[in-house]
Amino acid sequence: MNACVVSFAVSCRDKHHTGVSTLQREQELNRFFAEVEGRALRIAEIGVRDRDEALDLVQDAMIKLARKYADRTGAEWTPLFYRILQNGVRDWHRRAAVRNRVMVWFGRGNKDDEDYDVVAAAPDPIGRTPDEELQSDQAMDSLDAALAALPGRQREAFMLRTFEGLNVAGTAVAMGCGEGSVKTHYSRAVHSLRETLGEHWQ
Amino acid sequence: MTERKDNATENAFVERAKQHFDKSVANLDGETRSRLNRGRQAALAEIAPGGRTWIEWAPAAGVAAAAVVAVVMWTGNQPSDELTPTSASTDIEILFTEDSFEMLEDLEFYSWIELDDETDETLQPGGHVG
Repeated sequence: MNACVVSFAVSCRDKHHTGVSTLQREQELNRFFAEVEGRALRIAEIGVRDRDEALDLVQDAMIKLARKYADRTGAEWTPLFYRILQNGVRDWHRRAAVRNRVMVWFGRGNKDDEDYDVVAAAPDPIGRTPDEELQSDQAMDSLDAALAALPGRQREAFMLRTFEGLNVAGTAVAMGCGEGSVKTHYSRAVHSLRETLGEHWQ
Repeated sequence: MTERKDNATENAFVERAKQHFDKSVANLDGETRSRLNRGRQAALAEIAPGGRTWIEWAPAAGVAAAAVVAVVMWTGNQPSDELTPTSASTDIEILFTEDSFEMLEDLEFYSWIELDDETDETLQPGGHVG
């Protein structure tokens, strides 16, 4: 009888502790998402060139992180989150490529995706509303287009290192590759971007 | 000397890129912010206490409900000791047994017996006295 009472008391105490820690974890995760979500959206948007798709990818990444890695330390969340997000972006491109092949087969697709002109496809500043025009940033538009034209791994390395501020080790975790590869991709990305944007880009 | 200058130029370029990017994040419109917030809440619901309870239990509840229905249907078809109204199929079985045909052949005889019994009842003393 006494053993049952002790067991029940321990069980209640454990449940209480679990509840408190879950609440704390939820608050920590909320802060983390709130801090990172804007940058994550822009990074995904540059990757897929579509805001709605980027929003879906960011939400999926947040859900997967919460579901699988909520018990990890806060320091681990950033590279894990971006790893999930980058995987989502890569999957999106694979699906888009397959979809395009199918559409080409039916005679309705873009026949050569390799010839996609990202600069020509960039939003036209002339067609914007005054509000949008106020918010617009020609330099950022150029940077968006130049980033979109980079090979995927170079783009990932540059955005994670520069925009998210991850160090080489964190970027390697997020990209799922070695630190040497990160350095190579990053260096090539910077070189290509400077060449594309020119010396007068401000 | 040249390498140092190139590094400084590269750092300045990276810094400018970061500034433009941060500005574009700061300029995200209200609707986008709202959608991000909804996505965040959906993600947090994954770890909220009881947040996924009904979803986690849904498959088990479905199996249990199916099992209950199966048991009820199976026991419902079992023969019972209680007297129950006979179905139409039972009537047809009785009607077309060999004995029934014999009864139909002697139908006139059975009618006569029935009539005879009724006549005897009326002739008994005290049956109908005026």
